[in-house]
Amino acid sequence: MTSSTISRIRNFSIIAHIDHGKSTLADRLLELTGTVSARDMTAQVLDTMDLERERGITIKAQAVRMPYRAQDGHDYELNLIDTPGHVDFAYEVSRALAACEGALLVVDASQGIEAQTLANVYKALELGLEIVPVVNKIDLPQAEPEAVAREIEEVIGIPREQCLMVSARTGAGVDQVLEAIVSALPPPQGEAIAPLRALIFDCKYDAYRGVVVYTRVVDGAIRSGTQIRMMAGQGVFTVDEVGFFRPGMEAVEELGAGEVGYVIASIRNVRDSKVGDTITDAQRPAVSPLPGYRQASPMVWAGLFPIDSDSYQDLKEALERLQLNDAALAFEPETSAALGFGFRCGFLGLLHMEIVQERLEREFNLELITTAPSVAYRVQMRDGTTLEIDNPDQLPDPEHVEWIEEPRVKVELVAPREYLGGLMELCQERRGEFVHLEYQPGDRALLTYDLPLGEIIHDFYDQLKSRSRGYASMDYQLAGYRREQLVKLDILVAGGKIDALSAIVHRQQASNQGRRLVQRLKEVIPRQLFEVALQAAIGGKVIARETVPALRKDVLAKCYGGDITRKRKLLEKQREGKQRMKRVGSVEIPQEAFMAVLSLDR
Amino acid sequence: MTAEVVVGAPRSLYLHVPFCSRRCPYCDFAIHVGEDQLQERYTKAVLAELSRIATGELELDTVYLGGGTPSRLHPRLLGQLLDAIRAHFAVQPGAEVTVEANPEDVTAELARAWLQAGVNRLSLGVQSLDDRALAWLGRGHDAAQAESAVQVARLAGFENLSCDLIYAVPGQDVGTLERGVRRLMAHGPTHVSCYELTVEQGTPLQRQVRSGRRPAPQVEAFLEQRQMLGEVLGEAGLEMYEVSNYARPGRRSRHNLAYWNGLAYLALGPGAHGFLGAAESAALGLASEGAALRYWHLRDTATYIRDVESGASGWRGHEWLGESDLQMERLACGLRLSHGVRLGSTGQLNRALELAEMGLLVVEGRTARATPRGFEVLDRVTLELVSASTPSGRGQP
Repeated sequence: MTSSTISRIRNFSIIAHIDHGKSTLADRLLELTGTVSARDMTAQVLDTMDLERERGITIKAQAVRMPYRAQDGHDYELNLIDTPGHVDFAYEVSRALAACEGALLVVDASQGIEAQTLANVYKALELGLEIVPVVNKIDLPQAEPEAVAREIEEVIGIPREQCLMVSARTGAGVDQVLEAIVSALPPPQGEAIAPLRALIFDCKYDAYRGVVVYTRVVDGAIRSGTQIRMMAGQGVFTVDEVGFFRPGMEAVEELGAGEVGYVIASIRNVRDSKVGDTITDAQRPAVSPLPGYRQASPMVWAGLFPIDSDSYQDLKEALERLQLNDAALAFEPETSAALGFGFRCGFLGLLHMEIVQERLEREFNLELITTAPSVAYRVQMRDGTTLEIDNPDQLPDPEHVEWIEEPRVKVELVAPREYLGGLMELCQERRGEFVHLEYQPGDRALLTYDLPLGEIIHDFYDQLKSRSRGYASMDYQLAGYRREQLVKLDILVAGGKIDALSAIVHRQQASNQGRRLVQRLKEVIPRQLFEVALQAAIGGKVIARETVPALRKDVLAKCYGGDITRKRKLLEKQREGKQRMKRVGSVEIPQEAFMAVLSLDR
Repeated sequence: MTAEVVVGAPRSLYLHVPFCSRRCPYCDFAIHVGEDQLQERYTKAVLAELSRIATGELELDTVYLGGGTPSRLHPRLLGQLLDAIRAHFAVQPGAEVTVEANPEDVTAELARAWLQAGVNRLSLGVQSLDDRALAWLGRGHDAAQAESAVQVARLAGFENLSCDLIYAVPGQDVGTLERGVRRLMAHGPTHVSCYELTVEQGTPLQRQVRSGRRPAPQVEAFLEQRQMLGEVLGEAGLEMYEVSNYARPGRRSRHNLAYWNGLAYLALGPGAHGFLGAAESAALGLASEGAALRYWHLRDTATYIRDVESGASGWRGHEWLGESDLQMERLACGLRLSHGVRLGSTGQLNRALELAEMGLLVVEGRTARATPRGFEVLDRVTLELVSASTPSGRGQP
């Protein structure tokens, strides 16, 4: 399609709730345009990782090019960009959307518009995308397409007659969708002869070819041999190959303004190809980069420790492997008195952490203990030095500390107005400060708060969803540090401090948090042969105490000829279970205890 | 390093008699109700199996007929079986020959027949001397029948008499239990086995407890009643020598001690488990794949009979035990005994010393034995020692 001029390109994404038929529609589009033959169609071509399929979320973006001859007789180049779908990856989503001019909004004709979908629509509208509403599953007996079209008009403000009525399953109406992409979505704007500016919206690591950069060319063109410079990352590379996805990689001579595709340039590390960065021509650089670049840096830190200490080296290698394809994952060695040798790892958020942990366990067969996540604090020492700590246990003795600063974030919440009250209440509970409220077209409001990062990493997002019936969307950015009354909460088990259970908390919340934490630990630590005292302490002063009572009875009445084999097998099994626990002092502590702080109810 | 476990030649034989008049709701043994017409064929099958496994002149110190309810086996058949055992093995003078019996089956005539057949120890399923507890347990006798059975057996000449008791039965308080036990001890049994009621997997009782139709046994009752039993039995001159077993001096169950001491034993009949060293296993025609063999029979009586009749072994399965398996079993069983067990590794000894500090074990030299408190949580204590015997490596970055 090198002949295609910029006016024949359409770049779009699909916004849909899980199960509303995004993948089926995408598959139909691929089939109908002849991009993938029906025979080669495996269900849901676009989601490639097992984990993605299971969780129904897309972690990595995908891009596929479809050739299409429209009813006007012209040949078009349609680029579908599939986006990840969770707040941890909100920035990645925004960059993928920024690479498009429009989006298909797919809504199930029997379910109506769902909250999460609306949140993504808000995001797309903010970025100026044109929305084409598609009411799907009209073949279902319980379908109410007219009612759903009316709902779309009321909530988003798109006239109901613009809704396309389709069944991706039967294929009915899918041809109209292709026509609407051509007629209703605008072509890209861009200067073909201006210096190169291309937006990186994702990348992946390929063992044979190095980093494959997913990009949208905005101005100029990129071809093999071009010497490119990353405008934020500053790296300079020579392009080996450019091309597009069909959905396999197909090389082309060049990617011109408006086009979406990939660039391979002997880039060894995904860190040299940052999402949101602008690629320019090193010889003829653009004056300014594309707007919106943000450094993707870890927001939360947690310790990962192998249960079997012999697996330390395996864990290290596994983390290195994952890091090849995950620019946001950071790690460094950590030693804990309680848990032995492991790694302090940095993540974008809790979902990112869970995904990494799950992949380590599943793909690399590791058994891990993860400690409760923390944010990074700045400590001003009495001697004038400044420390940055991402592990509560590293906090020096209070006598050496002048003050502690905690990271704050600017959080933007978009939600229907009726939920504003509940959301403001949530932000206040989390030590938030009101910044701004703005009413937007339709029913929406944009609420801006300044919050401590530590207050939003645990369950803030879940709370946000439950207090807005799922309708609120959220985005956040680091917004500096602020001095606060912070203290280290230590947990003592049977009189001994467990470093991996320490947490940094606000002084006002410390006693409450300490009490709930020891209560929770009492639930997860099994009875031992002796009574186990659980204490929460601040600076040596105990503020809460619970006791795990000693085991009172554990003996089988009978052990005769036929019982002995059973007894031995039980012992073997129990011994394995014991080995999965961590023995700290004389107390055995199960894995989940180290994450107990996460399961506290507020 | 630890000494190798010596299993030795079998000097004990267990014969399982599966017939019962009823299924007690708490029982998970291999038994059959209302299949007494199988008794003749069962006896023939056991005799066939007996002649197959009797290779050479093995000496036996103990023979144990357990059940099920061996007292339901026709005395003529029981006599045939014991005669055959004596014909195939050198049953030693003074050997312990036990038969289990239900109180409602015991008559003076039957007791004499058993004695005549060579039985010299009777194990009576008394379970309780409280009618309410007996009804709760679904037993086929009442307290009066139980007492009379003990008297009848003693009068007939059973000097060596054991009684089974079940305690921690929901609804029964410690006082009622104590009165019953004191009444029983007045009849002079030489051995008592006390089992707390246990809700076993797959039993009617388990279904009833799970659905809330019956209360589960309580830990408090177990602790309180166990202590009382130790005291009352002690007053009567019976000493605890295993977690659940109490005996007058010289009246410990020699047969059961073979299990707990890790010695070899032969087994016959449906569901029965046997345990043999490598040499005796070889004599049965099994190529050795380990230090010892444990085998078990088909549980269903009719299936067992057909299998043996067809010339097959009647076994359902077997496993070979390695040295470390034997060590673990020896430890687990040995700790159940009042005189304790010799510890293997230094790691075990160190852990035992920690447990001793908690008042759960007494360690003397390399021998560890449980304290009264240790017996209450013995399975956990065992797990501690078993876990200490595996080296846990500390990796380095």
